[in-house]
Amino acid sequence: MATDQGEEQRRARFEALARELIDPLRRYLARRTDPATADDVLSDALLVCWRRLDDVPDNALPWAYGVARNCLANAERGERRRERLVARLSVVAPPEQVAAPDDRDGELLEAMAALRPEDAELLRLWAWEQLTSAEIATVLQVSANAASIRLHRAREKLREELRKIQQVAGHEQSREGRGS
Amino acid sequence: MSDEHDELRARLSAADPASSLPRSDPDRVARLLEDTMSHPETPTDSDRRRGPLTWLVAAAAVAIIAGVGAFALVNGTEEAGSPVAGPDPSGSTSASGTTELRAPGAEAISGRCLPPTADVLAEADVAFDGTVEQIDEGLVTLRATRWYAGEPTDLVTVRGPSEELQQLLVAVDFQDGGRYLVAASDNGQVMVCGFSSDFSPRLQRLYGQAFGQ
Repeated sequence: MATDQGEEQRRARFEALARELIDPLRRYLARRTDPATADDVLSDALLVCWRRLDDVPDNALPWAYGVARNCLANAERGERRRERLVARLSVVAPPEQVAAPDDRDGELLEAMAALRPEDAELLRLWAWEQLTSAEIATVLQVSANAASIRLHRAREKLREELRKIQQVAGHEQSREGRGS
Repeated sequence: MSDEHDELRARLSAADPASSLPRSDPDRVARLLEDTMSHPETPTDSDRRRGPLTWLVAAAAVAIIAGVGAFALVNGTEEAGSPVAGPDPSGSTSASGTTELRAPGAEAISGRCLPPTADVLAEADVAFDGTVEQIDEGLVTLRATRWYAGEPTDLVTVRGPSEELQQLLVAVDFQDGGRYLVAASDNGQVMVCGFSSDFSPRLQRLYGQAFGQ
């Protein structure tokens, strides 16, 4: 019966952990993929947590983001192979894109899009997941020092891109002003 | 410096696409946890799960079917006119007066859907209007009310579409009591991708055109 008790404890430990993780992981995935993939990857990530319960550190969330990140990368690798089939089907009628909200910060999105994907991801982890650079290091499996330096640089690059966009916007405005 | 960081972080946070994501439903969480814990603690070969393909392709299939109406599944390597593939002959009329048909296999999904035309439909050897009487264990029994092609029988059975095909939503989703127009080629394979579908006046007109009724 000792094993049954061990099993019960393990289940209880996982349940408590998973309840803490599910909503942050759902948000993490909603920010990075479509809803159907997010659901699949959430299940995958929870399964990894269940199987690696003994490896979960005290500060579980950054570690779990790292797990979700890997699961999502796997899902997207498979997806690319399958996109050929989807493309053949969607030639006839492309699926509707989800409408983006109108009040979004266009300049910020443009600036983020201009960054290298790694830099943009660092900034998302920092601002959206609200992680410290040490926690970002756990997610990305790099040293805390490297994460700190990269985060610093990514912020600088984002500011630089924002400045460029604002300059262009300002320039266009002044030209319009002269033209009237 | 720190203020500058805070400002940038706040601006990024305002653009967070997940800020309006509702909290998860407790019932769903309970199911998800139970599903997860029903897996063995170590992976097994039979443990591989369906990836996002199904959903992507299903979404695309829905878009096609909803957007354009009806389609024929055309296997890219087969002749363009034939909406089914597969060598297995059946479609027989049994001694008890039941026409036996079957759904195409998953291999059919390597093709594309094209709008069904009366010309292609006219090649069907079995075509009828009928109502589902019974569904069990993947076998659908329909009571035929009108025959467009083939030797009339009271009942028609269809071996249910494979799970894969159902998930792609190109197969007919037979529901108990539902009325359908069903066509099958000479080897007894149900023509999918809109040739066979739940009853609509539009599809009925196509059947009428194809079989001169």
